Amino acid sequence: MRPIDRPAVRIIAALLAPVAVLIWWQAQSAAGGARALAFVPLQDVGASLVEMAASGLLAADTLATVSRAVTGLLFGSMAGILVGAAMAMSPIVDRIVGPLYHSVRQVPLLGWLPLIGLWLGNGDGAKLLIVGLAAFYPTVLGSYEGLRQVERRYLEVGVLLGFTPLQHFTKVLLPGGLPLILTGIAQAIAFAWIATIGTEILLGAGAGLGATMSHAQAQQRMDVILVAIVATGLLGFTLNHLFARLRQHLLRWQAAIA
Amino acid sequence: MTRASSLIAGVGPLLLILLLWQWASASGLFPPQVLVAPADVAATLADLIARGELGVHLATSLKRLIAGFLAGAALGLAFGTGLALSRTFEALFAPMFQALRQVPVLAFLPMLVLLLGIEEGFKIVVVAIAAFFPVALAAFDGVRGLPRSYLEVARLYRTPLVPLLGRILLPATIPPILTGLRLGLTRAWLVLVACELLAADSGVGQMMEMGRQMFRIDVVLAGVLVSGLVGFTLDRGVKLIERRQLRWKAA
Repeated sequence: MRPIDRPAVRIIAALLAPVAVLIWWQAQSAAGGARALAFVPLQDVGASLVEMAASGLLAADTLATVSRAVTGLLFGSMAGILVGAAMAMSPIVDRIVGPLYHSVRQVPLLGWLPLIGLWLGNGDGAKLLIVGLAAFYPTVLGSYEGLRQVERRYLEVGVLLGFTPLQHFTKVLLPGGLPLILTGIAQAIAFAWIATIGTEILLGAGAGLGATMSHAQAQQRMDVILVAIVATGLLGFTLNHLFARLRQHLLRWQAAIA
Repeated sequence: MTRASSLIAGVGPLLLILLLWQWASASGLFPPQVLVAPADVAATLADLIARGELGVHLATSLKRLIAGFLAGAALGLAFGTGLALSRTFEALFAPMFQALRQVPVLAFLPMLVLLLGIEEGFKIVVVAIAAFFPVALAAFDGVRGLPRSYLEVARLYRTPLVPLLGRILLPATIPPILTGLRLGLTRAWLVLVACELLAADSGVGQMMEMGRQMFRIDVVLAGVLVSGLVGFTLDRGVKLIERRQLRWKAA
């Protein structure tokens, strides 16, 4: 084993770069100067973390952000799966909705924000709509492609067995399309999370980690921003990780076939 | 189905929506701050083009996009290749890279505003960060995905670094890297528009934000249209390059 492959060496190596960044940061904050306000000392960040955790602000923001992401995700991905399934099963729907879907999708997600802001203001409705839209796009694609690539012979077996349309859907199409549908949902989770944080920062109203960051920016509170960034990263990682576990569980039959 | 009829099937629904929209706004059910006719949006767009306003905004946005993307993609390529080729480099930087990747780029906006201000540098850095991550990941996957035998042959012949990069690494890794570049470019555009909505004195995003503040829904919609067209052109452009690159593979 080369020295670099030893677990202990790897852990130390992994810590070197982050520690170097932290030391550099701390030195910047001690040096003063024009940007000293931005480089808050690390002990202040720690103190803010304790304070935000103790006052319940961190928990309230986390709850607001996560529930917004999950609500938007649920509505957006359910609509997306339905639209994708309709497009996959009906050539007419595909021809009518397909071009619309592909043209609307070209607009950068947050580019809708000024328009939706004009229509719905900067409250929860506007944010949920954007988060839902973020989840909608990839799930449409996932369910459309998932259901279309189900093998013809499986469908033929269903015909032989005299399946009703509902049985066709639940026993053949859905399991056959599941891997790609779940891939679509995994992407939807990532996009919905980005959209949640993005809309919260840009609209800056209400509760949530993004809104707190936006307020902290106005008050030049870098310590609060850093705590919120770390929380955002950890939560995003947890959401993706939980879904990856669920996906593995739902697709546990796949390894047996392949 | 023939080309013409599939074109009609594609454009028809869009035309229908435009007609419905025109009818709904002409019906007077909605105040003009909520809904303007597509004809008015077209007129506003033509006016913005004629007065050169749109050109200025678009040029500013594209300049930021290109500068930030080039920097971010170049760094991403170098970083991803480094991760894939050197175990030491990977041990040092991969964990931090993976941790930072968990944070949406947009979440760095407030921090970067405090660190860099809201001048041009801020926007270019944000675009560069947005492009860096997908390109680095694609470069890593592409180089890692190389069959080991290629590198072993190179080692056997003691191929120097430059031909190794130019003759072996580059051709074999172009397809995945192009995909990464395309992702990076669309990400960069998304983040740039968001950035301009947040803080800018010009650019397509700022034009939309000004439209919102002045309740000019026609300007906002013109901006939506332009940002969509830019996104489409960027995505399609790289896809065309990808297809040309892949020609030899099919044969």
